[in-house]
Amino acid sequence: MERFYLWPEQPGASLFALWFFSQLIFWAGRVPMHRAFRSMGRVLFGGLRMAARWLKSISVSIAQRDREMVMEMARGDAEGKIAREFRRIENSFAKELNRYPKLHRKIDDLTSRLDSDYGECGSAPPAPPGWAEATAAVAKMPENGDGMVKKVLEEIHKSAQAGEKKALQEYRESTAKRHKILNGMASMWREVKALAGEAGKSVAAALDSTKRIDSYMATYEQTRKGDHKAVRAMGWQSTQLFVVSLIVLGVAIGGAFVNFNLIALPMSELVPSGSRIGGIPVSTVAAMVIVLMEIAAGIFLMEMLGITSFFPKMELLPLSRRRIILFVSLGGLLLLACIESSLAILREQIVESSSALKHSLAGISEKSVADPVFSRIPVVGQAVLGFILPWILAMVAVPLETLISTGGHIVLTVTAGTLAVLSIVMRVLAHGGRYLVEAVRHVYDIYIILPLQIERLATGGRGATPLREPANQQARR
Amino acid sequence: MKKLILAVAVAVLSSCSSGRNYALAIVALVDVSGTYLDQKEEVINLIKKGIVPKLNPGDSLFVIRIDDESYKKSNLEGSMTLDVRPSKANAQKMAFAAKLDEFAKKRERARHTDIRGAMMLGAEYLKETGAGSRTMVVFSDLEEDLPKGVKRTLAPDEFAGMRVFAMNVKKLNADNANPTAYRARLASWQQQATSHGAKEFKVVIDPEKLDELLDH
Repeated sequence: MERFYLWPEQPGASLFALWFFSQLIFWAGRVPMHRAFRSMGRVLFGGLRMAARWLKSISVSIAQRDREMVMEMARGDAEGKIAREFRRIENSFAKELNRYPKLHRKIDDLTSRLDSDYGECGSAPPAPPGWAEATAAVAKMPENGDGMVKKVLEEIHKSAQAGEKKALQEYRESTAKRHKILNGMASMWREVKALAGEAGKSVAAALDSTKRIDSYMATYEQTRKGDHKAVRAMGWQSTQLFVVSLIVLGVAIGGAFVNFNLIALPMSELVPSGSRIGGIPVSTVAAMVIVLMEIAAGIFLMEMLGITSFFPKMELLPLSRRRIILFVSLGGLLLLACIESSLAILREQIVESSSALKHSLAGISEKSVADPVFSRIPVVGQAVLGFILPWILAMVAVPLETLISTGGHIVLTVTAGTLAVLSIVMRVLAHGGRYLVEAVRHVYDIYIILPLQIERLATGGRGATPLREPANQQARR
Repeated sequence: MKKLILAVAVAVLSSCSSGRNYALAIVALVDVSGTYLDQKEEVINLIKKGIVPKLNPGDSLFVIRIDDESYKKSNLEGSMTLDVRPSKANAQKMAFAAKLDEFAKKRERARHTDIRGAMMLGAEYLKETGAGSRTMVVFSDLEEDLPKGVKRTLAPDEFAGMRVFAMNVKKLNADNANPTAYRARLASWQQQATSHGAKEFKVVIDPEKLDELLDH
C-alpha cells in the first residue's frame, strides 16, 4: 500500500489524495462503468440461463428416453406374461383335448349303461292275466252242497293261493334284482360326477387363465397408450427390482469373497505360488478365476433352464443342443464344487501344518494347542461350505440379469434428476449473479456519493440520474 | 494365419505375466567370534522365530558364519530355496530349523572377526538368487578384527539393491565406557554399506521390528 503513497512521509495526506483522485476518476467513469456492470450482469444472467435451459432440455430428453425404455420394458413384460398364459392355455387345451375323446367315450359308455340299467329297472313281471277276476267270480258262487263242485272250488282256491304266492315271490325277486341294478348304477353316477367335476376344473382353470390374460391385456393396452399411471407403476417396479437385485448381489459378492478366501491358500499347492501376474500371486488369480468360472457356469445353467435370457442366440438353439449345454454346465458346476470341497480340506491341512511349523520353530509343544476331537469340525464345515458355495454363486445369474435390465432405467432416472437439479442451481445462480452485479453497481454509487450529491446540487436535482435500460431489453426479461 | 494367432496369444500371455521377481532372499551372518559367542543361541532362535516363518514359497535363506576368514564356501552353514508348494516349503523349513539347531550346538570359537568377508560372500549368494528383494541381516558386535594378511576391499556395487540390517548388535565393555565409539562404529558401517550400493542400512534393536522390516 505504501508504494502508492504520493508522499510517503505523510501517509494521511497521501491517503486523502488517493481517495480524492479515486472519487474523481470513479465519478467521471460512472456512466461507462454502469454500462459495463449491466453488460456483465446480462452476460452472466444470459449465460447461466442458457446453460440452465440446455441442462433442462437434456434432462427432459433423458427422462423421455427413460419413459420410452420403461414403456418398452412394460410392453415386453406384458407380452411375455400374455405369451406365457397362452402357452399355458395351449398346453392345457392340448392335454384336455387329448383326453376329451376318451372322456367322451367313457361318459357315453356310462350313460348307455345307465340307460339300459334304467330300462331294466322299469320292466316289472306281468301279473297272471284274468286270474284274480276269475278267482273272485268262482269265490262268489253260492255253495250248493255239491261235493264235486266244492272240491273243484277248493282246488281252484289252492291253485289261486299258490299262484299269488309265486307271483309275490317273483315280484320280490324282480324288485331285489332292480335294487341290485340301481345299486350298481350308484358307482356309475359317482364316476360320471367325478368326470363332470374334472371337466369343470379344467374349464375353471381356463377361465382363470382368461381372466389373467384380460388383466395383462388391460395393462398392455395402458402401456401401449402411454398411460402415466402404468408407466409410473412400471418405473417403481423397476426401481424395486433394482434395489432387491443390488442387495442380493451384495450378499452374493460376500459369498464370493468367502469362497475366494477358502480356496486362495490351497490353490498355491496346485499352481506355482512364486509367480505373479501384475503383482498378484498366480494362486490368487487362479482362485479368482475359479470363482468367476462358477459364476459363468451358473449363468449358462440358468440360461439353459430358461430362467434368464442373457444370450438371445442360445434361445434359438434346438432343444437337444440346449440340453447338452445344460448338462455340461451342470457337470462343470458339480466338478468345481467337488474341487472346492477338496481344496477346503487341503486348506485346513496347510493351516495345521503351518501352525505346527510355527509352534515348532517357537519351541511350543503341539499337544497343548489342539484337541483332535474338535479339530474335525472346521474341516467338515469348510468342505461343506466349499461344496455349497459354488451352487449359491451360480444363482447370481438371476439378480445379475435383473440388475442389468433395470440398471438402464436407474441410470437414466438419476442422470435426468441430477441434470434437473443442476438446471435449477444454474437458474438460481443466474438470478443471484444478476442481483449481485446490481448490488455492486449500487455500492459503486455509494462510494462516490459525495461527487454525485455535489453534481445534483449543481444541476438543480437533475444530475446523477440512474441509467435506464432500453425498453426492448426490459421487455425481453 | 494360425501362426500369427499363436504369436499374438503368446505375446498377450507374456505381457500379462509380471517380469518382476517378487521372491525374497535373505542372508543371515552369524558372528562366532569370542566377543559374540554367548549370543549364538539367541541369534539362532531369532532366525528361527523371526526370519524362517516370514519366508514364502520361492524365497531363499542363507546362513553364513562370521569367523577368522569368512569369505570361504565352508562358512555357509546352510541354505534353502523354498519349493513353490507350501506343504513342501514347510517341510524344508522344518529341516532347516533342525540344521540351525545343530549349528547352535557347535562349540566353535573364532579368534578374529572377518565381517566384510562374510558380507562379500553373502552378497554373492544374494546376487546369484536373482530375487527381487535382497536382505542381509548381520548378527554381530560389528567390531571387525581381521587376521594378518587378510584384505577385504568392497566393490563399489557390492551391496547394490540390498538392504542391510545390523541386528542384536552387542555392546562391548569399551562401548559402555564410551558410547560415542559404539555410535561411530555403527555410523562407519552405515557409510560403508550405503557407499557400496546398499539401499539402506539399519540397526535393529527390537527383534519385533525385524518382522516389519522384512514385510516392508
